[in-house]
Amino acid sequence: MAAMLILSCSEEQDFDQFDDLSVTPTVASSIFYLESDEEFINSVSAVNTFYAQTFNFDAFNEQFVAERLLEGTISYELENTTSKRLNITIEFLDEGGNILDVESLSIDPAPAQTETLEVAYGPGGKSLDILTNTSSFRVTGNNLGDATSISSEPEPKIIVRSAAEFLFRLK
Amino acid sequence: MRLGKLFFLTTFFGVASMWSQNKQLLYDFYEIPQSLMVNPGVKTSEKWHTGIPVLSGLYFQAATSGVTVNDLFANDGVDFTTKVRERLIEDMSKRDDFSTTSQIELFNVGFRGKNRPDDYYSFGVYGETDIIAYWPKDLAILAFEGNGGDNIGRSFDLSDLNLRGEMVNVFHFGVNRKMSNDLTIGARAKIYSSIFQFQSIKNSGSFTTTQGQNNIYANTINADMKLQTSGVQEIIDILDEDTSSTQRDLTSLFTRRVLLGGNLGLGFDAGFTYHLNPQTTITGSALDVGFIYNSKDIKNYTLRGSATNEGIDVILPEDINDLNNDLWQELIDEIEESVPFDDNDTSSYISFRPVKVYGSIRYDFGLAETSNKDCGCAINTESGQNGNLYRNSVGGQLFMMKRPRGVQAALTGFYQKRLGRTLSLKTTYTVDKYSLSNIGLGLNLQAGPVNFYILGDNLLGYRNVADSHYASLQFGFNIISWNDN
Repeated sequence: MAAMLILSCSEEQDFDQFDDLSVTPTVASSIFYLESDEEFINSVSAVNTFYAQTFNFDAFNEQFVAERLLEGTISYELENTTSKRLNITIEFLDEGGNILDVESLSIDPAPAQTETLEVAYGPGGKSLDILTNTSSFRVTGNNLGDATSISSEPEPKIIVRSAAEFLFRLK
Repeated sequence: MRLGKLFFLTTFFGVASMWSQNKQLLYDFYEIPQSLMVNPGVKTSEKWHTGIPVLSGLYFQAATSGVTVNDLFANDGVDFTTKVRERLIEDMSKRDDFSTTSQIELFNVGFRGKNRPDDYYSFGVYGETDIIAYWPKDLAILAFEGNGGDNIGRSFDLSDLNLRGEMVNVFHFGVNRKMSNDLTIGARAKIYSSIFQFQSIKNSGSFTTTQGQNNIYANTINADMKLQTSGVQEIIDILDEDTSSTQRDLTSLFTRRVLLGGNLGLGFDAGFTYHLNPQTTITGSALDVGFIYNSKDIKNYTLRGSATNEGIDVILPEDINDLNNDLWQELIDEIEESVPFDDNDTSSYISFRPVKVYGSIRYDFGLAETSNKDCGCAINTESGQNGNLYRNSVGGQLFMMKRPRGVQAALTGFYQKRLGRTLSLKTTYTVDKYSLSNIGLGLNLQAGPVNFYILGDNLLGYRNVADSHYASLQFGFNIISWNDN
């Protein structure tokens, strides 16, 4: 048995292979959801803008995330059951309030199909720097139609959905 | 990167050096005094024995029920990430565990009672490290693949995190009594002096990403998770200080805890040997039926609650007057409030020792000679039954051990050959979750009063150690005096 222990052998091992390990999970999460009924849009559309708000969003510029972001997509969905054409603008702002990028989506009055937009970032898409420097979003909703009509759809409203699906390098 | 590599390799070699507690070669190998440690009711023949301090019982046993070192690190030209994905992430299940058990006997002494020669007393101290971590399959997939892509809709089971470990010093005293020529029983009392302990064994919950009710995705977490630790924080604090006195402080801390200065516990072993007839024997034992009361240096961590996140939510006209522009931080605060992480829990807890149970049946044959003065047979020959030395024994053994995810069992067939009274060989074939081809060989050599034994498991694995699922080695030296009355 001692001889067996002494004569035991092993195939050649290469522990440096660990350096080649690539761990790149895909992380999916919603970003923001905006909903407004038509009555409200009519009530504040004297200047066409029924909603304008800037809110802080540090998800992408957190150091841990920013250093590991490889590529990904932000998806937007617009659903409109109101009687008017609407436009939603999303501005990506850095810490100083400077505009880094703008996405603008318009949708026809009901009955309109859901508008979708997928914006790619990283290789082949927009620069990842836009995201890693984004500190806040300014979301603006504009009424491109009248301010009196009411859609015949039940509970007419505009809905904006958005989500991100990104590839990160953990190792 | 360097830390990551260190962590991975440490974890993986934890897998590779998975120490199982089954000592099938030592069990009922009654020529070796340490067999008393796996069955306090084993047949004893010595007048007295003393283990050579620190060298009487060194036990190293390694196995893996899942991937081997060779599976991942063989220089085979296959992309390493592919090997990790296919052999580790996809192939291993949550039932696969990585564990390590090692024992070092500091001393072990036994002697026969002067007034009660049927009693054999033994006592000693040994240190034991026992760590088990089940493969956290779902959490590994979550880290490797993420919650997006094909994993939308998948529920990641948080109960996959299941681990337990401890380092303990054991003071023990046992009595082995020959009740009759047919029956020997024994029991051993144990005091556990804990050096550290940690466990996270009752986790539940899930993390799921599904289509949202309002938004595109909903991330939902339901968590009831807890990690209990005792004796760990003080060690971390000393290591964090990283001063010139770190080594001295650690030595001092370990010394104090080894000598009953840490958390304490109680336990016992019990066992028997019964001769069904002169050639057929059954045995059984239960080991480490005990607990440790952890009340010092406690730090527990909990993550408990549930939350669903669909991102920042603005509904008009309700939210038109909400001019707070820190909606993102508000969302994070809300989630943290719903699923709070608490690391300030210092409540005491009880940890149970991993109970082990052995059973065996042995058939002896090939009568060599009757007792002689060197075998202690005066104790075992009254009816002429048990003092007979048989050249051969064959039998089977069953081993069961309580683990966090249930009972772990092993079945062993063995053959033992005695060549006179100086040399005894035992070979075993064991089937368990780690291996279906585990062949072991044990040797006990008695040269005058000096006893040497060496027991090695899964010898076929030595053809390629890196590809072995199981390996063990135990050896030791004793001084034995046989009965001369």
